[in-house]
Amino acid sequence: MTPQLGGVPGFRDLLPLEAEILREAQESLLAEMRRWGYRHVITPLVENMDVLDLGLGIEQRRRLFKFTDGRGDVVALVGERTVPVARLVAGKLRAAALPLRLCYAGPVLSTDEGRFQQRRETYQVGAELVGASGPVADAEVIALAARCMEATGIRRYQIDVGHAEFFHGIMDAVKLPDEVKSAVRAALAARDFVALESLLEGTPLKSAEHELLLRFPALRGGPEILDAAGGLVRNRRSEAALSELAQVRDLLVAHGIGDVVNLDLGAIRDFDYYTGVIFEGYGPDFGRPVAQGGRYDSLLSRFGRPAPATGFMVQLDLVSEMLTRSARPPALPRIDAAVAWTGSGLDTALRLGSTLRLFGMRAVVDTESRGVAEAKAWWHAVGAANLIHCRSKAVVSWSTQGQRTRSLPPEQVAARLAGGLS
Amino acid sequence: MTRDDQVSIAIPTGALLNGALSLLAASGLARLTAEELGRQLLLERGEVRVILVRPSDVPAYVDHGAADLGIVGKDILWETPGSHYELVDLRFGDCRLVLAVPDSSTVDGPDTWPPLMRVATKYPRTSSAWFEARGQAVEVVRLHGSVELAPQVGLVDGIVDLTATGRTLRENKLRITAVLGSSTARLIANQASLKTRSAAVQSVLSRLREASGRAG
Repeated sequence: MTPQLGGVPGFRDLLPLEAEILREAQESLLAEMRRWGYRHVITPLVENMDVLDLGLGIEQRRRLFKFTDGRGDVVALVGERTVPVARLVAGKLRAAALPLRLCYAGPVLSTDEGRFQQRRETYQVGAELVGASGPVADAEVIALAARCMEATGIRRYQIDVGHAEFFHGIMDAVKLPDEVKSAVRAALAARDFVALESLLEGTPLKSAEHELLLRFPALRGGPEILDAAGGLVRNRRSEAALSELAQVRDLLVAHGIGDVVNLDLGAIRDFDYYTGVIFEGYGPDFGRPVAQGGRYDSLLSRFGRPAPATGFMVQLDLVSEMLTRSARPPALPRIDAAVAWTGSGLDTALRLGSTLRLFGMRAVVDTESRGVAEAKAWWHAVGAANLIHCRSKAVVSWSTQGQRTRSLPPEQVAARLAGGLS
Repeated sequence: MTRDDQVSIAIPTGALLNGALSLLAASGLARLTAEELGRQLLLERGEVRVILVRPSDVPAYVDHGAADLGIVGKDILWETPGSHYELVDLRFGDCRLVLAVPDSSTVDGPDTWPPLMRVATKYPRTSSAWFEARGQAVEVVRLHGSVELAPQVGLVDGIVDLTATGRTLRENKLRITAVLGSSTARLIANQASLKTRSAAVQSVLSRLREASGRAG
């Protein structure tokens, strides 16, 4: 039988260029997070189901790869990494003073079928600020998300900021029987505004809140949207959300990212999980949000250490896809030197390789002895900028594209390469 | 017009094509004939780019941002839920998704369903979900065409299929015993397009919404 060389559907190999782009993006994200004082933690790929049950909704639990470990416990491969971080904060870090700033990076898995472009293994980099409430903490995390997108090299991006309480307030205020309310929630979660309209049309009482629900996808813009919405809502929860959003917006201007921030009162997210300010980051011409996050003040209490919290994660795969598709996609870094040898030149080649690497260059030393013509062919296959052929201890021949081959002592070649001279 | 100001709309081949083209014309966005679109598949007219794709592919184009907006039957959305916004009932392309059995069959209401119901359909997901919600064991045979034939040759007990007038069903000696749902054409939108290019998308959206209201 032929082995499945393509791997399991929905899982992919990252080839050298893709792997390089992904790794670079991950490092720039973590570096930006560390600049803001967030400490890197690594949580395992496997978690106990009873831990995940505390933090995940039914749909998310359904999509986990589950199995039993040797002791008969049901465990799962993580589908996101906020819940493991919450477990950490309430467990091993319980003695650490709040607020805590933590960041993480790693793969997450989902059993979702690998449909068109849909992957079952993706990479997320995230940051969590645990133990701080209020607009200053909300704005810090949003500004960090914006700076993170910038750090990866995405040129044009925007952040949409909304508030879960704005929606909860409207749902409290609309006069509808409970079963209609839950149908309204379901229609909104499915982003089905046709269903929403027919549900609301069938009700006798029409309030300004009805109108707001129907206009949900269009409730976005600059600070003026807050006044417009303020004139329409008549409930305290939504009004409080609007005033909090106004404060966050001012703080984001102070953070220097006012021009990339939009207010989006109609953001539709997992409203059972989020309790306050929520946000999404979008890159240019990309059908899905690249970053998403928000305030989740009720999660930590389920682990026995009640604390307000906010955070976000960046979909690393989408970032690298965006960079690959950009006008000037990143290229695989070139190998600086291919070091070939013949006869007694091996020692010289190995020493020269070490020297070049010491200067921070990428150098490949050949594994077999080659004559001049074969060495040139090997050089082109390696794709290096320079070929250094070592035939004796004292002198090596150095070739570089478009110039004649020169014979020099090895230390002179190293010195010239390190000095950027060719 | 750059790609940034232009709004792309995916429209389906088949039964909804003429309705979609009339809507585009009525909204003043683009006057296109089925023939020219059939030849080109992608046409640019001022502020819109119109893309002609198979009906079942419309959600994929929209969900992945290859099209900002899409016109698609609700029947397709039942079968392929995704991350798009479903914004407007365009009120054309009326049809029903029905359970039909041979005229000679003893199957009628739920009480007469066999212990394991076998149905042929192009809508496996919707069909399974509907029967399962009613506690009925079902074996769904996914077919890609001529579903009406399946019960006549004894492959299945009945079919779940889309019908507008019921004529094809009658011609194949099938009768409707249940309606799973009613479908019309819908306008769907990519979640990110509404945010990252909202001015252009909202403008096209409101013209389509207005035109569909006038026609309906």
